[in-house]
Amino acid sequence: MTQRNTESAGELPIVEYGLVRAHIFASLATLLISATFGILVATKFNFPEFLGGHAWLTWGRLRYNHTQGIFFGWLGNAFIAFFYYAVPRLANRPVWSRNLGWLLFSIWNFAVVLPGWVLVLAGFSKPLEWGEFPHIVDSFVVLAFILMAFEFVLPFLKARLSDLYVAAWYIIGGIIFTMLAYPVGNIVPELVPGARGAAFSGLWIHDAVGLYVTPFAVAIAYYVVPAATRRPIYSHFLSMVGFWLLFFVYPLNGTHHYVYSAIPMSAQKGAIVASAYLGMDVILVVANLLLSLRGSSAAVGRDVPLRFVWIGVVSYLVVSLQGSVQALMPINRFIHFSDFVIGHSHLAMIGFASFIALGGIAHLWQRIPGTRYNERTMSWAFWLLAVGMSLMVVDLTIAGLVEGQLWQSSAPWIESVRAVRSYWLIRTLSGLPIFAGFVLFWTSLVSGPKTSAVAAPLSKYEPPEDPASFEAVAPVSRQLSWTRWLSYANVIAFVAGVGFFAFSFLVLAIIPGKQLEDEIKRVAPATMPKLTASEQRGRVIYGREGCAYCHTEQIRSLAADVRRFGAPTEAWETKHDYPHFWGTRRIGPDLSREFNLHSSDWQLTHLYNPRFVVRDSVMPGYPWLFEGSPNQPTQEGLDVLAYLQSLGRARELSGLEQQESADLPSQAPDMAVMSDASARATPPTVAVPMVGGYSLSAPILHPASESCDLQEEVGRGASLFAANCASCHGSPGKGNGKASASLLPRPADLTAARFSDERLSGVLWNGITGSAMPPWRQLSAEDLRALIAYVHALYSDDPPSEQQDAKLVTSKALFAAACASCHGNTGAGNGPAAAALAPAPTNFHLKQPTEERAWKVLEDGVPGTAMPPWKNELSEDERRALVEYVRSLYRLPQGDSPR
Amino acid sequence: MINIVVIAISAVMLAFVLVWWRWPAFRLWTEAPKYFMLRQERRFDDGTSYSRPDSKTRDPE
Repeated sequence: MTQRNTESAGELPIVEYGLVRAHIFASLATLLISATFGILVATKFNFPEFLGGHAWLTWGRLRYNHTQGIFFGWLGNAFIAFFYYAVPRLANRPVWSRNLGWLLFSIWNFAVVLPGWVLVLAGFSKPLEWGEFPHIVDSFVVLAFILMAFEFVLPFLKARLSDLYVAAWYIIGGIIFTMLAYPVGNIVPELVPGARGAAFSGLWIHDAVGLYVTPFAVAIAYYVVPAATRRPIYSHFLSMVGFWLLFFVYPLNGTHHYVYSAIPMSAQKGAIVASAYLGMDVILVVANLLLSLRGSSAAVGRDVPLRFVWIGVVSYLVVSLQGSVQALMPINRFIHFSDFVIGHSHLAMIGFASFIALGGIAHLWQRIPGTRYNERTMSWAFWLLAVGMSLMVVDLTIAGLVEGQLWQSSAPWIESVRAVRSYWLIRTLSGLPIFAGFVLFWTSLVSGPKTSAVAAPLSKYEPPEDPASFEAVAPVSRQLSWTRWLSYANVIAFVAGVGFFAFSFLVLAIIPGKQLEDEIKRVAPATMPKLTASEQRGRVIYGREGCAYCHTEQIRSLAADVRRFGAPTEAWETKHDYPHFWGTRRIGPDLSREFNLHSSDWQLTHLYNPRFVVRDSVMPGYPWLFEGSPNQPTQEGLDVLAYLQSLGRARELSGLEQQESADLPSQAPDMAVMSDASARATPPTVAVPMVGGYSLSAPILHPASESCDLQEEVGRGASLFAANCASCHGSPGKGNGKASASLLPRPADLTAARFSDERLSGVLWNGITGSAMPPWRQLSAEDLRALIAYVHALYSDDPPSEQQDAKLVTSKALFAAACASCHGNTGAGNGPAAAALAPAPTNFHLKQPTEERAWKVLEDGVPGTAMPPWKNELSEDERRALVEYVRSLYRLPQGDSPR
Repeated sequence: MINIVVIAISAVMLAFVLVWWRWPAFRLWTEAPKYFMLRQERRFDDGTSYSRPDSKTRDPE
């Protein structure tokens, strides 16, 4: 134990400078490592193959380590360093124990940060936002907070209330609140499933920022501002109002991450109101801090650490008001899940928390004797960081607005990815000055002249503004003697901490949880299947790889969501989800309705290398789930596939979809939306899902009949084909794209058949069941027409030879005997067996294969379909006759122009 | 839920404002910590915190 005895009046408590230094160096080392993780993650958006192919370096795991490293490594160490410096000053007592301090240092860095990183990279993590380190690490985090309570809270035990400065309150409050919130946020969502779990994890997502990052950063600001200006803060009363409101309101904000979700609307609206109050509270806190700097603008310009803090305080105001506005429903529906929120979180973590922490470190570093400090490089670090941070936040904010706009339209999802790629590149580049700023910051702490004396001579101190008031405090304190019980600040903080936390727990988790439980009991089908063992294993892998950080599993009750993804996610659908994967970000589309949306071969190919099937995808590949090729998945690959194909199954099997469709009044046909040339920019008024499912209202689209218009359409179609179709069908449409090797049936060779407009329209609208061909009805009618025109252009005319009547009769009989059971008597693909086949048999009225293609199909069949080889069943003459016959069945439908 | 949140926050705010408004002595008392903090800062910055010969935590150098 360092020195437990109360210091005498003239004696100063010991400051553990060794621990201050150790934590500062640990904070800067982990900052650089975490920033490196961040830059790698950002780079992967533009170069998805960068460092690909290695499980340890995949996007999801690096992303986990980026945020957890900033949270624990950088900010955690920086805050603890500040505590070692400030607590003895604020409490007039040393910290509890030096040995305990080194134990805390060891636990924090060698039992939390370092093993946390390694375990996450090795695939041992938990998919909870801001809680990705595995449970074994969580236990050390909780232990560390208990040690922190001993080390930093107990010195305040005997502090008089009239001595307890606001920074001390924030330190005490932050430690106690986080000690309570951390286990709840990191354990409960794993024990309480789905929507109910989301209500709890929403608490932690916000508590992590609101009860850990914010109080400690604000404590530093409240410390550095008066210490650097040598003037008291503007109003300690206002600072305390801000403190209590923050701790009361912040935990109530959590559910604003799940607006328009299945969580009861009353809880959502409560969180939105609390968010508005929080904004007001932050205005109060920031106004108080900025008023404390009145008349000290020269100091802000001169003193670099104070400048860091000043930027941090201003960012705090901006980011908090931004947060309050983001929670409002009209804004939330537009920007949630987009890069706007990522810009917001970077403004919070860099602009607010990191700038203040850096300012705090630089401030106290100069006051540690024997240290070096280089003001010039520190100033450079400041400007690099300010420029980098501003660029990043502005860039991501604009990117978010672009994404939000496209998500409201009926444009395919991938267009939002294409649209923001340049913004992602700027974001990555903006990380470079930030990284350089961090390096220079560290450099400035180890270069420059040595500090041999205190930075600020006593003479520079200004006296309190009102010495009389200052002196009058003691008698007033005596008058307040009846409030002696209040003098135990720890008791107040602890009671309030437990009370406020319990209140938020009750209002945002217990009550909504109970409502959800009742709803689930009432609505969930009795036969709702649980995940199979394989699906459950796949779910674990899905969480391990961070899939939920790009793909949400919650369709919000918004027309744009419903149109794009399907019915809104209901609470009962998530009743077996431990933990929930609702997510707070969409880089890829929502996966809640993935059941039956894509074929298994498409899913496996996509997992192996997403760009094999979606040219511009930025999703990482997962080759370690395969043995060298997409059609050789490992057990883990099959498990992930099983999980993906289970998403939305419960709803599909429940019959609710059919019931709801039957209950709906007759809707405007899909074409009413799609025929509008401006459909891409204007959200349809009728909520018709644009992907998945079979729609009877498939339109028949005809390309332009005028030659010059047709040329234009073909050109446009070629671009669309290259962007959306070529990865499977190959660039000349020969069915030999990158994905073709692992898709069964293989993508169609579009040069080997003539297709009618009806056939192409139907396929583009609904996809081909039983194959990897997805529906493309999210494209505008203009685009679909252009694609049809382009596919027509791929076919070189190959008219069938005229058959003699006698031969025709023979061929017809042969067709009736061998082919009609599937293809129908007339070759319309509607034979008795057709209904049970997927893909459906070819309708030869709408598709005319080339002679070569028809011959090959008769010889070899079509792997992956019900079409068998006829080489050994029919003679060569018979096969040749059938080729001629099926080619003669094609009819140029009305409306199709001869090409 | 909104009512609970609004009433609770309004009650906290009202309590603060009432105490501050009705009790001038409280206003004075509540501002005291900012002066204490500055006084402590002065004490520590005069160098005694790390010049005590018996201090085990003085700068390692």
